[in-house]
Amino acid sequence: MNRYHRIAVCLAAAIVLLAPLTFSDRYANLAIRILVAALFATAFNLLWRQARLLSFGHGVYFGAGMFAAVHLMRANEAGLNVPLILVPLAGVLSGLIIGLLCGFIATLRSGAYFSMITLAIAELIYSLGPRWQALFGGEAGISSMRIPSMGLSFAALNEVYLIVLGWSALGFVAIRFFAKTPLGQIAYALGDNERRLQFLGYRTHAVKVCLFALSAAISGLAGGLLGIAAENVDYTVFGPASSAAPVIQTFIGGADVLFGPAFGAAILTGFGNVFSDVTRLWLLYQGLAFVVVVMFLPAGIVGSLLSSKKRPLREAIANTLAVLLCSASLIFLCESASILLSDSYASLRANQGGSWVSYRLFNIELLPSSPIVWALPLIVALAGVLVSCKLKRQEEAA
Amino acid sequence: MTYLLTSLVNGLVFGLLLFMVSAGLTLIFGMMGVLNFAHSSLYMLGAYLGYSIGRWTGFWPALLLAPLAVALLGAFIERYMLRRVHRHGHAQELLLTFGLALIIHEAIKLMYGPYPVEYAIPAELARTAFSVNGFNVPLYRLFIGAVAISMFVSLFLLMRYTRLGLIVRAALSQPLMVESLGHNVGFVFLLVFAIGAALAGLAGAVAGAFYPTGPNMAEDLGSIVFVVVVVGGLGSLEGALVASLAIGLLTTLTVGLDWTLAGALAPFGLSGWAASIGGLFSITLSSLTGSLPFIIMLFVLLFRPAGLMGERS
Amino acid sequence: MPLDRRDVLKLAGAAAAGFAAPAIAQARPALKIASVETLSGPGSTVNRLWSLGLKYGIEKINAEGGWNGQKIVYAEYDTEGTTGGASQKTQAAIADGAHIIAHGGSSNIGGQITEDVRKWNLRNPAAKVLFFGLGIEALELTGAKCHYHFFRFATNADIRIRALVAGLKAENALGKKVFSINQNYSWGHDIQAALEQSAGENDFTLVDKVLHDVNKIQDFSPYAARIAASGADTVFTGNWGNDLSLLLKAVQAAGLKVRFATTFLDLPGALSSAGSAALGYFHAELWNPQAFGAFGQELWTDYKAKMGTFPSTSEAKSILALLFLQQALKTIPEASKIDVDQIAQALERTSYKAPTGDVTMRAGDHQIAWPIVVSKVEQGAKFATDGTDMGFVPVKVIPGGEVLNTVQASCKMQRPS
Repeated sequence: MNRYHRIAVCLAAAIVLLAPLTFSDRYANLAIRILVAALFATAFNLLWRQARLLSFGHGVYFGAGMFAAVHLMRANEAGLNVPLILVPLAGVLSGLIIGLLCGFIATLRSGAYFSMITLAIAELIYSLGPRWQALFGGEAGISSMRIPSMGLSFAALNEVYLIVLGWSALGFVAIRFFAKTPLGQIAYALGDNERRLQFLGYRTHAVKVCLFALSAAISGLAGGLLGIAAENVDYTVFGPASSAAPVIQTFIGGADVLFGPAFGAAILTGFGNVFSDVTRLWLLYQGLAFVVVVMFLPAGIVGSLLSSKKRPLREAIANTLAVLLCSASLIFLCESASILLSDSYASLRANQGGSWVSYRLFNIELLPSSPIVWALPLIVALAGVLVSCKLKRQEEAA
Repeated sequence: MTYLLTSLVNGLVFGLLLFMVSAGLTLIFGMMGVLNFAHSSLYMLGAYLGYSIGRWTGFWPALLLAPLAVALLGAFIERYMLRRVHRHGHAQELLLTFGLALIIHEAIKLMYGPYPVEYAIPAELARTAFSVNGFNVPLYRLFIGAVAISMFVSLFLLMRYTRLGLIVRAALSQPLMVESLGHNVGFVFLLVFAIGAALAGLAGAVAGAFYPTGPNMAEDLGSIVFVVVVVGGLGSLEGALVASLAIGLLTTLTVGLDWTLAGALAPFGLSGWAASIGGLFSITLSSLTGSLPFIIMLFVLLFRPAGLMGERS
Repeated sequence: MPLDRRDVLKLAGAAAAGFAAPAIAQARPALKIASVETLSGPGSTVNRLWSLGLKYGIEKINAEGGWNGQKIVYAEYDTEGTTGGASQKTQAAIADGAHIIAHGGSSNIGGQITEDVRKWNLRNPAAKVLFFGLGIEALELTGAKCHYHFFRFATNADIRIRALVAGLKAENALGKKVFSINQNYSWGHDIQAALEQSAGENDFTLVDKVLHDVNKIQDFSPYAARIAASGADTVFTGNWGNDLSLLLKAVQAAGLKVRFATTFLDLPGALSSAGSAALGYFHAELWNPQAFGAFGQELWTDYKAKMGTFPSTSEAKSILALLFLQQALKTIPEASKIDVDQIAQALERTSYKAPTGDVTMRAGDHQIAWPIVVSKVEQGAKFATDGTDMGFVPVKVIPGGEVLNTVQASCKMQRPS
């Protein structure tokens, strides 16, 4: 990328990142959640990218940070005046400490066993969550309120966004910088060949623990940032959904690229916020996208984009077109199925004496008994498949 | 006394149910090194299919057809998805099954709605088996236990005494060698995965009539099944049986036990002091029922990662 | 006609249009009520009912002329079952211009929303909103979490237990040994505490008490075994949903001869799960179609005609809350600006004449005082519930003042000057 490209990209990034300062609460909230998810996913990816360790229980450290921040805010309300800008530090510290403890235990084993230990720890904390009332607030959780500090009231979320932006930038810089430190370089070697590293005299367990602690600390930071924005937290933050999110976002975005997870987090959180209001099937689409990416794009979206620079543009367009066509028809079929299988449609049919009543999708009236309704999406999907097949054949011929 | 007896029966049956689900999982891992995250989703699918097919054909044919359908799905997943991802490494396989679990889960919610369905026990089985001090034990519980035991026995015999079992066990340790001897190892893998899936499906079809068949089934059972497989030893059928019985008994028995650490200190006269401190000392054993499996799993993973009966790797 | 996806989309579209429409030519603003409920996910079948009741009630009020010269506007928001989702949707509802947020499904989510509303009102005194609790019965909502802009239109744990105990005593069905089994969260804790206090004041002993995980237990037979072991005559439970259905099934399967005193046996799914074993079980609630006489009969048939199903308790309570609100609104003159503080004041002063007695809203903690109907499950009841031939037949109606709890010391309500 030449100089002008770089300046243009930086400018665009600055505009995108600073825009939420002018948004209303609702959209500033979305922007904050996107940043937090991106930071969390990148912290998770640190373990994978450097040491090839898959942690399925990272929600613990995120949750630890979130609880720490909310507890500190409650202490602030009671009189302890820690400025809001320093509250995420509580998240970092709690993530670090818990990460050291759990990381020590988890990194004693490697591979699938490591993943299982992280999963077991997460499940354990999740099951203990509702018990420990004083710390986790039971089923209702803990709530607090931001108090004014440093002259700003922090009543509106765009002021909070500034803090979130600042700390996220710090977090990203720390992760980027870590790769250049000697410890970071050794961690890379860990992922390649642990045995050889041991023979070179390095204490691989210590290195893994440090790496895990850093990843947990930044996850805790992300949690702390969400804590000051949301002002409440309950034990469900330790649950499976919380730990699954960074995994999905990282691998859809691209696990071997620094900004892959951030990209995945941004699009999934953004789309999720919009689509989960419109359709019940958002989680299904997310799962489908994840499986498709794992099967056909092992390098993730960003990874594939970067490596496909050597491929002609025509191919990329054709591939994207194929994907869009297939997804469109799949979405149509799923949404139709969701309406047709619902209770309300069944009772509607019963009212009309059992005949096929028309239903409404995307503002079009559709009749299930008409063959066009089913033929059209199938043809569209077929077109998509043909496009990609033709592409493959051209590839093989070349 | 009543409590102990009934809890024993319930615990054993629950343990046998856990075994039904975990048998397939441990087989698949031992066979292919793939930890199938989607296994409990297949269990849930078996339950829902048992319900749907049952409404059409009646309970008993559904008990045969539902596992068959799940087995076909398992074969499809292995042949067209897992095999494709295999060359990218174990982590990708793990991720694939993880994603599949999500899809199956959501697809079921799409088909059946986000609330439980009325999958009921057939009239022939809906009676009391026997009574303990006025407390009735339903016949269906014993039915679940019987299905689980027959499953174990037939699997054991299959693996130990048949030619197919011999090939499967050989392909476990030396797949390339077995392939060069002329056996279709790919087909063997497919068969094992399908059988594993069928076992989960059968467990679902049988258990779903008794326990609530709802969208939370997979999550509730899934994590415990994981624990069972790890504690018993990945790849070991006997280990899975022992571990599932132990965990089933433990979780059922502790439900009614309100023991606390403070109470345990009573012989030393310290219980009053401990109770006043509260926190960790006054947590009852019954409230930890849900967490016990994971505590056990953590210990096993730390001190004996191969599990109780697994092979040392 | 049942509410299907088209209607929801139409409604959402209309609500969005109504909410977003600039108030250029409007001399009188319309009152906007937002229902923030769990409309998707496992809890949704039962929780949706609160929204359906609101929709029906608002349509009814609009048919009678609405308020402030306009029709009341209604919109729905889906919490997706999490407190985080509830928080976000509450913000969205307020951003869309809602004056009143209403929630009935979960005490946890209600606790979240009430805190969010309190903070919003503190930070935006010019744009305050009210929060109506249609069914959330944990004590802390009118206790530590009370605030001027929250109104509870439902009973609370104390009221329910007092009513149940009084009712069972009147029927000589209380027994000497009572077993308490509840869910391990604020609501369950409250029921257990209320029972413990009641045991001290009345003539029975609490032989054993259980708090179990919420919506996680698949198999209640260990608890049935515990009930058998304790020798209890009566079991008091505040359980709802699966936790209630499975508990009743397990007790029935075990063949135990106990009476149940429940708070949520009338929710859809409970009676049909329990089956004939539920005959003779007791229940206490502010709504009972039979006890409400002609009004109850009319609501029963009219709701079925318009919405396709008979009204459950949740829908009825939403409608009753709206009728109380309507009574309060009648005292407010038409104005070009809606002042929620005025509405709050009116609610405190209103007295509503229900078929079971007089209803008032206590100013000290904004807890409504309804007469409570204690009922028994009987076969061939006039208002058969849940697709069975059983229904809740009233055995005693207790005036609101007799079962109302005292204002909790933890409620430090700050009133606007």
